[in-house]
Amino acid sequence: MTLGFGDYLSLLGAEALLTGLALLMIMIGLFTKNKNLMGYLSLAGLVASLFLVMGADMTKGSIFYGTMEVDALSQFFKLVFVAVALIVVMAALSRYKDSPAQDEFYVLLLFATVGMMVVASSIDIVTLFIGFELASLSTYAMAAFDREKQNLEAAMKYFIFGSVSSAMMLFGFSLLYGLSGTTKLAEIAAASVESMGPATLVALLFVVAGFGFKMALVPFHMWAPDTYEGSPTIVTAFLAAGSKKMGFVAAFKVLFIALVALSFEWYMAFAILVAITMTLGNVVAIWQKSVKRMLAYSSVAYAGYIAIAFVVVGAANSGGLDLAVAQNGLASGLMLILGHAFMKTGAFIAAAVVGYMALSEGRKNPDDLEQYAGLGRRAPITAFCMLIFLFSLSGIPPTAGFIGKFMLWGSAIDSGLVWLAVLFALNSALSLYYYLRVIMYMYVREPAGAKIAEPKGYVLAMVAALVVVLWIGVFPQAFVDFAYSAAAVLLH
Amino acid sequence: MIDNAISLMIAIPLIAAVVAFLNGKAAKYVALIGSLVPLAISLQMFQEFDKTSNAMQFVESYDWVPAIGVKYTVGVDGIGLPLILLSTIVSILVVVYSWGEEKRSNQFFALLLLNEVGVLGVFTALDFFLFYIFWEIVLIPMFFLIGIWGGPRKDYAAIKFFIYTHVASLIMLLSIFALYFSYRTPEGLRTFDMLTLLEATGDSAIFSPMLLNVIFIGLLFGFLVKMPAVPFHTWLPDAHVEAPTAGSVLLAALLLKMGGYGLFRIVMPMLPNVSTHYITLMAIIGVVSIVYGGFLALSQKDLKKMVAYSSVSHMGYVLLGAGALSVLSVQGAMFQQFSHGLITCVLFMSAGTIQHTAGTRIISELGGLADRMPKFAVLMMAGFMASLGLPGMCGFVAELSVLAGSYENLPIYVLITIFGGIAVTAGYHLWAMQKVMFGPILKKYLDLKDPHSYEILSMSILVLLIIYFGVQPATITDIMGVAAEPLVEPFIAVAATGVI
Repeated sequence: MTLGFGDYLSLLGAEALLTGLALLMIMIGLFTKNKNLMGYLSLAGLVASLFLVMGADMTKGSIFYGTMEVDALSQFFKLVFVAVALIVVMAALSRYKDSPAQDEFYVLLLFATVGMMVVASSIDIVTLFIGFELASLSTYAMAAFDREKQNLEAAMKYFIFGSVSSAMMLFGFSLLYGLSGTTKLAEIAAASVESMGPATLVALLFVVAGFGFKMALVPFHMWAPDTYEGSPTIVTAFLAAGSKKMGFVAAFKVLFIALVALSFEWYMAFAILVAITMTLGNVVAIWQKSVKRMLAYSSVAYAGYIAIAFVVVGAANSGGLDLAVAQNGLASGLMLILGHAFMKTGAFIAAAVVGYMALSEGRKNPDDLEQYAGLGRRAPITAFCMLIFLFSLSGIPPTAGFIGKFMLWGSAIDSGLVWLAVLFALNSALSLYYYLRVIMYMYVREPAGAKIAEPKGYVLAMVAALVVVLWIGVFPQAFVDFAYSAAAVLLH
Repeated sequence: MIDNAISLMIAIPLIAAVVAFLNGKAAKYVALIGSLVPLAISLQMFQEFDKTSNAMQFVESYDWVPAIGVKYTVGVDGIGLPLILLSTIVSILVVVYSWGEEKRSNQFFALLLLNEVGVLGVFTALDFFLFYIFWEIVLIPMFFLIGIWGGPRKDYAAIKFFIYTHVASLIMLLSIFALYFSYRTPEGLRTFDMLTLLEATGDSAIFSPMLLNVIFIGLLFGFLVKMPAVPFHTWLPDAHVEAPTAGSVLLAALLLKMGGYGLFRIVMPMLPNVSTHYITLMAIIGVVSIVYGGFLALSQKDLKKMVAYSSVSHMGYVLLGAGALSVLSVQGAMFQQFSHGLITCVLFMSAGTIQHTAGTRIISELGGLADRMPKFAVLMMAGFMASLGLPGMCGFVAELSVLAGSYENLPIYVLITIFGGIAVTAGYHLWAMQKVMFGPILKKYLDLKDPHSYEILSMSILVLLIIYFGVQPATITDIMGVAAEPLVEPFIAVAATGVI
């Protein structure tokens, strides 16, 4: 079926709108002094694209000569990306108010979002790589945005690790192309059945390494704590919630579609990697004094939790594909991705409020746990939101984090990986320790200063994330259905 | 009866908790109303409950997350109803007892209400998903009650309490999943429905004995930690010693009962299908808890810690009664849950009142308080007598039923061991009472007075209830007996062959 221009617009309207808006904002930025308008423009654009994403027709099949597809999976991730960008923009309204360079921030953010959305839609390795790089390059610049010393260090580390991972990924892609003679994922999947040799395995290793960096899986996680700690905190929120999930959607697509041929023999190796990732993330997080760094390691642990979905699919496929089990595992992973995106964004934005408060009082370590003392009385809204995000991260009901973990525990048991489920449960209990410690500081310790006025933009962002986290926790049905249909796309 | 009575009973304290939290000044009045309404509803439910029927009553069921087979299903039967009554009674009395709480009172009363939401949810949920949610929600208010209003080592105690019981909950959850994924409804769907899944455990085509035994251990572990039974009791003394009085009361009177409830609701229906060794194991753990808990209590210097260990000892009767598997013992175990809930309130309130009037709970530093606090002394005495099992009070009836029921099925040396434990129990109660309340008054306590009237009031109501249920236990034991019968029925043949 040939599609007309109007069809493209209805399918990729959100991407088109955001790209156009970003370009327009660069132009406006050249001619205007008062740049506070930019934040509201991006806010409006993102809200509009949220509706466009939700309204897109998911039945049209592939577009752009079979390089992109609009389906439940792509729309699931696009919703996550756009919503996270929206929340970050709300926080940025306060953070970069009256800043002379703020237009660049919003433009970079929009481009990064578009890049992620392209990755979500791509079914072709070249398109995927282009989207990946668009998002990566924009976020490299964002990580250094405040141009402070620790920003630059963070951005440098991120850039170097990111470039290496891109190179590896590209090398893996080129091997795949060389082996199969096509760049389309579905055709690679069909071709590599015959040509399954050692080269496919090498290609797989390179691709996994490339995605592993973005997902922050051990042993590719080294950059994440430093970058997360050093970047401006709202950028950290975007990296942890958006950029990282892009790694997951790419991994979902390539590993499942292109490498079906390997019949998932790798799943046991991956299970061990996952076990190490979550344990290491949690154990190291316990020792952190900086809350930002603690959240960064908890992100590493979460990468491990989410990656259980891959292992479950592998296990489900080990003796002839058990579709129901595999779908269950994937949908559970998607639910945890969804929950993690919102609770992590919210937690980092709450950390940003505390950092802002500590800096304005001239304290030395703005992210240190000490700054959280008595937060319940100094900044009640921030503290309450943080409380819910932390409970959600530790998997206490009724929150998004609980639903995700709940389903993932279930699917691990379902696929017979009881040891992994038990390890996951123990890890989750272990993580409670460092989340509860922050809560104790917020609500039990005596406040170290006077009550502060919480910046409105941050409050708006946190409350938005809070509502989503609780909404998913209490009324998960619509999201679970969406996740199942997204999972079905992959297993088709 | 109004429709949706149970949902209303759960929703009202929840709404009241939010209101109390936001409206600091009127928090305690909101809390009073927010716990009075559930009390009224539960009494009305008790009135209208069909006491001869074993079926679930007042059932409400709605689809919640159909994609994974989750329903919002609540209902009560003879296992749940007494505990619901206990929860609503204790919750309102704790609000009354804490009437003078000044420190962050809005949060305090909101947490008391949230706790009521959690326990009522646990005692009514008939869907494993819902059950687990309420089970976990209960941890949150208790964590904050210990953490904010607690004693000197509150950080450690609160975090230990949370993590220890959370691990147990997770093990329980994994077992629930194993049940969930093994069974499909005739329509081919998954379900979290509690009664359906428990009934399915009887089908050996679905659950191999091996699988079922593993599931059973996970569930039993989750409940034993909550009860708590020796050797999983170590979180309890820390939590109790550091918790404020209201927290201790709720912890001992309601939270521990969740473990016992799980035993009757989930573990016992599975018993006929698992290895009989577990029955022996339960009985042994029960006896060890009774005796060892008693000795631990005897050796305590701190009055509150003594009361905390006496809880371990008394909850051992619940486990023993469940493991003895006669109608009388199971009924007695259920009644022990109810009666211990009332009695332990008085004990912890006494310890709390002594702490804030005399300034210490160390037994050896107290003496002769009865001289200056006559009303309080009477109430505390009544509580202690009830706890050691004085006839005419509900503790006696419960423990006697358990022992008489156990006599049918358990070897005689078990009972001899327990009688040793009973002597110890009488010993530490009398010794503590004598040292703290009687004898010549110490000089430093000369200007003590009876505590506030609201403290006296809440304790008096509890003592009256203890005596009432001691004299008229049948008011509530009848429905327990009806509920106990189907739990025991599969074993009557087994018991005759002397397996246990």
